[in-house]
Amino acid sequence: MDLAKEITKEQAVLDSMRNSYKSAVPESFSSLSSKSLLNLESLEFPTTKLEYWKYTRTGQIANKEWKFGVLENVDLPENLPVSKHRMVFVNGHFDEKRSSLPQVEGLTILPFSKSSVASTIAQGEEDIFRAWNTAMPQDGYHITVSKNKAIEDSLQIVFLYSGENTISQPRSFVELAENSELKISEFHIHSAGSMAFANVHSEAVVGDNAHLKIDVVQHGSEKGFHLQETYGEQGKNCTYMQNTFTLSGNWTRNNSTIRLTDEHSECNLNGFYIPNLKEHVDNHTIIDHEKPNCESHELYRGVLLDKSTGVFNGKVFVRQDAQKTNAFQSNGNIIVSDTATMNSKPELEIYADDVKCSHGSTTGQLDEDAMFYLMARGLSKESSRKLLINAFAEDVLEKLVNEDLREIIEDTIHTKLA
Amino acid sequence: MLNIKDLHASIEGKEILKGLSLEVKPGEVHAIMGPNGSGKSTLASVLAGNEDFEVTSGSVDFLGKDLLELGPDERSHAGVFLAFQYPVEIPGVSNINFLKAAINERREALGEEPITAKEFLKRVKEKASLVELDNKLANRSVNEGFSGGEKKRNEIFQMAMLEPKLAILDETDSGLDIDALRIVANGVNQLRSEDRSFVVVTHYQRLLDYIVPDFVHVLYNGKIVKTGGKELALELEEKGYDWIKKEVDTVTA
Repeated sequence: MDLAKEITKEQAVLDSMRNSYKSAVPESFSSLSSKSLLNLESLEFPTTKLEYWKYTRTGQIANKEWKFGVLENVDLPENLPVSKHRMVFVNGHFDEKRSSLPQVEGLTILPFSKSSVASTIAQGEEDIFRAWNTAMPQDGYHITVSKNKAIEDSLQIVFLYSGENTISQPRSFVELAENSELKISEFHIHSAGSMAFANVHSEAVVGDNAHLKIDVVQHGSEKGFHLQETYGEQGKNCTYMQNTFTLSGNWTRNNSTIRLTDEHSECNLNGFYIPNLKEHVDNHTIIDHEKPNCESHELYRGVLLDKSTGVFNGKVFVRQDAQKTNAFQSNGNIIVSDTATMNSKPELEIYADDVKCSHGSTTGQLDEDAMFYLMARGLSKESSRKLLINAFAEDVLEKLVNEDLREIIEDTIHTKLA
Repeated sequence: MLNIKDLHASIEGKEILKGLSLEVKPGEVHAIMGPNGSGKSTLASVLAGNEDFEVTSGSVDFLGKDLLELGPDERSHAGVFLAFQYPVEIPGVSNINFLKAAINERREALGEEPITAKEFLKRVKEKASLVELDNKLANRSVNEGFSGGEKKRNEIFQMAMLEPKLAILDETDSGLDIDALRIVANGVNQLRSEDRSFVVVTHYQRLLDYIVPDFVHVLYNGKIVKTGGKELALELEEKGYDWIKKEVDTVTA
């Protein structure tokens, strides 16, 4: 009789990860990590039978033996905007040499491993990828802004991923105290040709009267995987804004979940994606209106080329208590080729009776009348197409918090449309 | 300049133009009139290269070139301009930037240097005043939020900017009140020259009080059935189209 236990796929990957993991768990976080590790014994990879993963397959991630990477000298992108405050992370390690963190009163910036984070605002324990990140977190940023402080300069955070079968699990936490303000531009860049899996987890707590605005630029590789989960919790009279630009990458999944836990706050989630070849981009958002008089705005725009696939799933909860909620959601897609597909699903669950909610989802080809109009004026088919797509992208680009990211984003759009 | 011979064109399998012939010489203004559904706008669309229409037979020669072989952009480069009956609103595309790109693509096609910023701005100012187009409108997104009259003025403004050899005005008068009509017609008249021709498609005679044609053609059932001078338009205004329909239908019967 064979007494050896059958090793599951989940166990095999986990073993490979554990063997290469160098702990970056702060003391304060260790009990949460241990709990997650224990929890992982019973968690399985999601399949497309689950509604949450219906259009995005995780098989390619499940079938690999992921190992943690090291702090390598991966080049920063040439067109990276200049920034006074910069944090660089390579494969989940804080690259202190290439970071610059001048002292600013009221602003505390630490790598996660040096922080005193002790809890999580993410809810639910059934997600295997989140459990991985919690069990074996690596360095991301831990930023706190103290009461009444508005930080003038934007913080630039650059995450670089490289290697073969390399997993990175940056964990970040940002906390804005009452009446404070912060802007962040965040880059996630996978080296060309690398086959890395970035399993990113970030949390943000926005205090009363505080304002947090984040631009996220994602540049994946042709073989890599990028999963980015953001949890946000908003207090009273505050704003949260997140603009996500998925410029490239074989496989990208973004989960953004924001809770509006007090009155008169505003949440803005915007995104732009332009997959080509066989790239896959999936944006899942959840905005939870728990209290009255809050507003949420979502604008996601996609341009799908070649054989790419896109997914948008936007869930909005309006709880019974959340009267006078204004929630607006819009997802528009242009399918440029005959072989690209888009799955778009707005989901509104409304339990209050005095609310204004709207959602719209459009997916179609380029407007032929507009194409003919432009061509009749002498623009080539190519130029007309570019002009219309740029105008479409502009709806999201104009939301940019950090206008200096525009060039990087536009360059990629131009390259992909060439 | 333009020589159309026995042109047949259809949309979704339905034949609209059924053997249309027309010759336009440099500097001439030809009005195409006719009842609704006679094929007037189809003619305009086919000449500009709208791919919704299929040309099944016939030929169109434009300055020695086979026009039907050219894409819409190449026709524009060759000097054809269509003022749309229903100008398209294009949010997010700046009127001015797109015109500059259009001018430069044509210049490139003709092997010329791109227009300088100074020269371009000078031209914008000059041509916008031709149709009393507010500078603010010129800088906005193409036709977005424009009134009907503003859209038509914008068409003539674009025409002036692109300096075509042959301008086709597709029911440019439709939806215009008399003041707007005067402005548009005035703009067109200032662009008339010895080597620029116009094909003016209209349902009503009124426009022709302002843009006086050299020839008036009546289009009926996909063919030109009658040609005359400007007085023909007045006759049509007075008597309507029924007498022509009767005349044609009797001959065919």
